[in-house]
Amino acid sequence: MKKSLVLLISLIFVAASLLAACGTGGNASKPGNDGQQTAGNGEGNGKTNNEPFEITIRHTQVGESKKFRLGLLEDVVKKTEAAVPGLKIKLDGVDGEVNRKERLRGEMAAGKPPEVFDVMGSPDAELYAKEGLMLDLTPILDELGLTDKFTTLVPFTHGGKIYGIPIGGSIEGYFYNKEYFEQKGYQIPKTLTELEALAEKIKAEGKFPFAQASKDAWIPLMTTNNLWSYYAGPEITYGFKTGESKWTDENIVKAVAKHQEWVQKGYFKKGELGFEYADMRNQVITGEAIMMMDGSWANSVFRDPEQAGNMVGKIGFFNMPPVHAGDPVVVMQDANNGYGFSSAVAKDSRKLQAVKEFIRHMWTEEMQLRGLKEDGVLPAMKMDLNQMKTVSDDPLMQDIFKATSEIGTSFPAFDALVQAEVNTSLSTGIQQVISGEIDPAKMLANLQAVQDAANQAAQ
Amino acid sequence: MNKALRNPLVYILFVLPAFILFIAFFIYPILTAVNNSLTSWNGISKTMSYIGMDNYATAVQDKIFWKSARNNVYFILFSCLVQVPAIVFFSLLIANVRKLKNLYKTAVFLPSIMSTAVIGILWGFIYNPDFGLMNEFLGLFGIQPIYWLSDRNWAMIAILITNAWQWTGFYIVMVLAAILSIPRELDEAAAIDGASGIQRAFKITLPLIMPIISVVVMLSIAGAMKAADIVLVMTKGGPAGSTDVMATYMIRYAITSFKHGFGNAIAVLIFVFTMVITVLYQFLIVRRTERIEY
Repeated sequence: MKKSLVLLISLIFVAASLLAACGTGGNASKPGNDGQQTAGNGEGNGKTNNEPFEITIRHTQVGESKKFRLGLLEDVVKKTEAAVPGLKIKLDGVDGEVNRKERLRGEMAAGKPPEVFDVMGSPDAELYAKEGLMLDLTPILDELGLTDKFTTLVPFTHGGKIYGIPIGGSIEGYFYNKEYFEQKGYQIPKTLTELEALAEKIKAEGKFPFAQASKDAWIPLMTTNNLWSYYAGPEITYGFKTGESKWTDENIVKAVAKHQEWVQKGYFKKGELGFEYADMRNQVITGEAIMMMDGSWANSVFRDPEQAGNMVGKIGFFNMPPVHAGDPVVVMQDANNGYGFSSAVAKDSRKLQAVKEFIRHMWTEEMQLRGLKEDGVLPAMKMDLNQMKTVSDDPLMQDIFKATSEIGTSFPAFDALVQAEVNTSLSTGIQQVISGEIDPAKMLANLQAVQDAANQAAQ
Repeated sequence: MNKALRNPLVYILFVLPAFILFIAFFIYPILTAVNNSLTSWNGISKTMSYIGMDNYATAVQDKIFWKSARNNVYFILFSCLVQVPAIVFFSLLIANVRKLKNLYKTAVFLPSIMSTAVIGILWGFIYNPDFGLMNEFLGLFGIQPIYWLSDRNWAMIAILITNAWQWTGFYIVMVLAAILSIPRELDEAAAIDGASGIQRAFKITLPLIMPIISVVVMLSIAGAMKAADIVLVMTKGGPAGSTDVMATYMIRYAITSFKHGFGNAIAVLIFVFTMVITVLYQFLIVRRTERIEY
């Protein structure tokens, strides 16, 4: 009897402990990570609250190629911590794609994003803002006098309110082996025909004209996007979402067919569908390939001796040339990547103060120029081209400045203008075109069907 | 003591903690997934609208979904027809070696304790078209370089080989334990009666380890149906979606496109398919296997 009683009591005790543990787990997390719960602590009595508190910054400055950007962020973190008593900033670095497509989405779904996070303006920030998960920065930017200081805030502006701040700008164009061009007496091409003639010569010399890694579809899509913006005009991309333009437009078909033609002519290394982004840069660094379509951000790799070796100083940059000589240069110029802030921050005055200080220290002329100098990121803030030129005397940066000054019409990357499912479908589609599995017209017809469905769903 | 054990309440109390965990981490997520699969939820919104079976209709009408499901079938077939025989073969070999048995056991088990990411990168080097071990080896026989991970004709087989390499050792250790637990007298008696090594393997050992082989097959089927990590690490479902399995299809076409309702529908379909296959396997194969008694 005694034994059975002990057994029963023990069992009840274990079960109760288990249930109690489950219960406290939920409650315990509240004070620690829920900003709302601590909102206004100590503010009401007029005293400064020096109690330690923490905010998390989710950034994507991971890896060797982003070490300068990380250094810059760390300096801003130090300044922000010094400006806000008790503040401790936790840096949480995650790969850009993982953050965009997995981590941040999961956190948004749970309603608990980090206080500060790396985010793409469109379509991501738009969706998060619609759900009330992002902090409206309009009053903060007004207060700090920053509203009119940016080249564009369009990707982060939804319903007239600003929900994010771009960290930098970029253009897409060709990095090329300057030394090789000089040795062979090649000139920078002025038309697409000249570019193709150049590619043909380079191929005949046993080199790959273009480096390309298509395991991630956004990489070859830089070429495709720039091609269709020349063939069909950059404005066509704005019309897909509204139904005003169609992917099946004959000029878009022509552009995608041109990309496929380049693949078939052997302008890219065979097996590109299995190559990673880093492989593409390595093809240029090792001299295997001579030109490479990439964003201007890639200059940091070619200016770093640890990554580019003896190719430092031997790489140049030019815009993709127009179809006809004398036509305006049309280039992807974007500022879609930046930082957003959790709307929960608004309920905690100390965290809100921390965010304001972070913005105050991050978006300054000094930091933008430092980003340009150290990392080659074009400023997101308005800046005089001559002032930019004085910051860096690096020949590659001078090439990028020159290319920027030559732009006739710029356009945002297509993925900022179409729905996520259209981007997914185009990503698979361009890989199918590269592999020769499908012809461009059929791929674009499939894509248009996805676009129609997405437009219909949005209505 | 006896009185307490005769009281049904005691049994219920014993079962309760496990039952609560089972409901919290298995039943509740399944029911939530089923519920979400009937909506057009974007994964972020606090509200969701019900759209009936539309998500299921979209999935079953999508050729790409069936292509992904076909790749899961390849995983199952490769496991059952190539991996399991290899597991049994190597288990028999290791069971019969006299020296360094533990070394062999450890060596074959090693890949299964490595992370899939590490294995993906490691085999990425092996499959490299320019300097990879695989092409170097094939080159000895005059075979032209194969673009293992870039060519849609080879990418799937490359993943299947890697996946098999990762898990074969784990199953070998399971089968080996079963082999070593067979009473030695049975084998010795057969040897005295003049049975050769191969005869003993096929007539004595194999029939006696059939139950554990069934378990290995079941685990392989379940593993094949939920495969995703190895595909993501090695090819990201490419080239051009040719190595997508149902789970990566779900990530690519639903989760990354803010279509969580659709994603949940795919998850439910994976669950249903897995259940159907394992139940069929249970009824058609396992139940027919005789109970082993030494």
